[in-house]
Amino acid sequence: MEVTLWGTRGSLATPGPETARYGGNTACIGVRGREGTILVLDAGTGIRRLGTSLPAKLERVDVMLTHLHMDHVQGLGFFAPLYRAGVNVHIWGPASATMGLQERLKRYLSPPLFPVHLSELPCNATFHAIPNGEVEIGEFRVTADLICHPGPTVGYRVTDGQGKVMTFMPDHEPALGNPHFPNMPFEWTSGAHLAANADLLIHDSQYSSQEYWDHCGWGHSSLAQAINFGRLCEIRRLSTFHHDPNHNDADLDKLIADAIEETHPPFEVVPGCEGSVFNL
Amino acid sequence: MWIQPDRTPAAPHFSCTKPTSVGPRLALRVDFCRRSAISSPKPLQLILARQLASSLAMPIIIVDTLGTLIYYNEPAEVILAQRFEETGEMPANEWGAAFAVTDEDRQPIAHEKWPLVIAITQQKPISRIIWLRSPDGHWRHINWTSVPFIAQGGEFLGVQSIFWEVA
Repeated sequence: MEVTLWGTRGSLATPGPETARYGGNTACIGVRGREGTILVLDAGTGIRRLGTSLPAKLERVDVMLTHLHMDHVQGLGFFAPLYRAGVNVHIWGPASATMGLQERLKRYLSPPLFPVHLSELPCNATFHAIPNGEVEIGEFRVTADLICHPGPTVGYRVTDGQGKVMTFMPDHEPALGNPHFPNMPFEWTSGAHLAANADLLIHDSQYSSQEYWDHCGWGHSSLAQAINFGRLCEIRRLSTFHHDPNHNDADLDKLIADAIEETHPPFEVVPGCEGSVFNL
Repeated sequence: MWIQPDRTPAAPHFSCTKPTSVGPRLALRVDFCRRSAISSPKPLQLILARQLASSLAMPIIIVDTLGTLIYYNEPAEVILAQRFEETGEMPANEWGAAFAVTDEDRQPIAHEKWPLVIAITQQKPISRIIWLRSPDGHWRHINWTSVPFIAQGGEFLGVQSIFWEVA
């Protein structure tokens, strides 16, 4: 599979020369399989460019939302396939006990926050509450489960026909205030089964170790926690993700280097830069 | 296939070449003698419940849908007279046999009427004042409250029991 990072920023789009290298668009990645199946994971502002790059004869695309915080859905209304008649757009997201996925998305994709109603879109849009467990989408097997982040939030484990695994957890706080993380057994660690032995883990790494304690419980991880989570899950490669809007490129270079020095990961750590492509 | 985005100058890739090491038997009506899949991934709700319980002063135990004791916090170690670090998870017939439970008139309460068992079998919250004899022989006057965990999709995940000592 080919994995492309179209938006790596967390919380708020942060364009500007000081963030050009890591990128300013919010969470969105594209996954393309050898047989042409296309998955879009999260619909942050990065989804706009992804949408314009899709083939003209696109028949189906699956947009899989980890959760509905604004930085993960803000770009959805600007996703080109939504405005193409005949394209089957399947939108997946975590279930809620009180309201369907479409109803929840309508809160944003309707006036006064957005000029177009969801029901007016020319594409064939289908909404799915993602079940905890597995779904088959084209050549991919996608496993989803709830992970630790405020509100219903899932992580995704995408496995292709060759057995390659990419796990996406853009917003995840498995440590949740535990100063000794990861001291809990594997099975007691949020999301560990989704990331186990992944060829590529794209994981929340918003804070420095010091910053984390000022934001404990907000649903995000420090770089060191992300690396230690990867160690627990015995991953092969980590891409840092959900960069804090207050961190510019120079800050991120230093923070990542410091975290590696602190934790000595036994795997490659690849800074999550907008435009990066991983071939698994 | 989509067109690749313009490449911006890549940040350095970091890797570390230094290897690091990766790192008396109960006869309850629920099928308590079945042992849960030890070491299976726990639902997020139970992970969060354990994290909360580990930071509270009230004795709390957490069992899964089969009644397997999957966690008890430090205050509950006093009631169980064992440390969780030493016992790990315990099937229901093992931990349940450690207790004797009576009502306030000191009449034994059948296992199936224990609040924890009712919370599992009927999936409803229940609270009852009882006398509980711990494995160390000590009797405690307890308000035993059990609450089932129901996930957003309606799935039953397990039960949390709180042992409030009656003053």
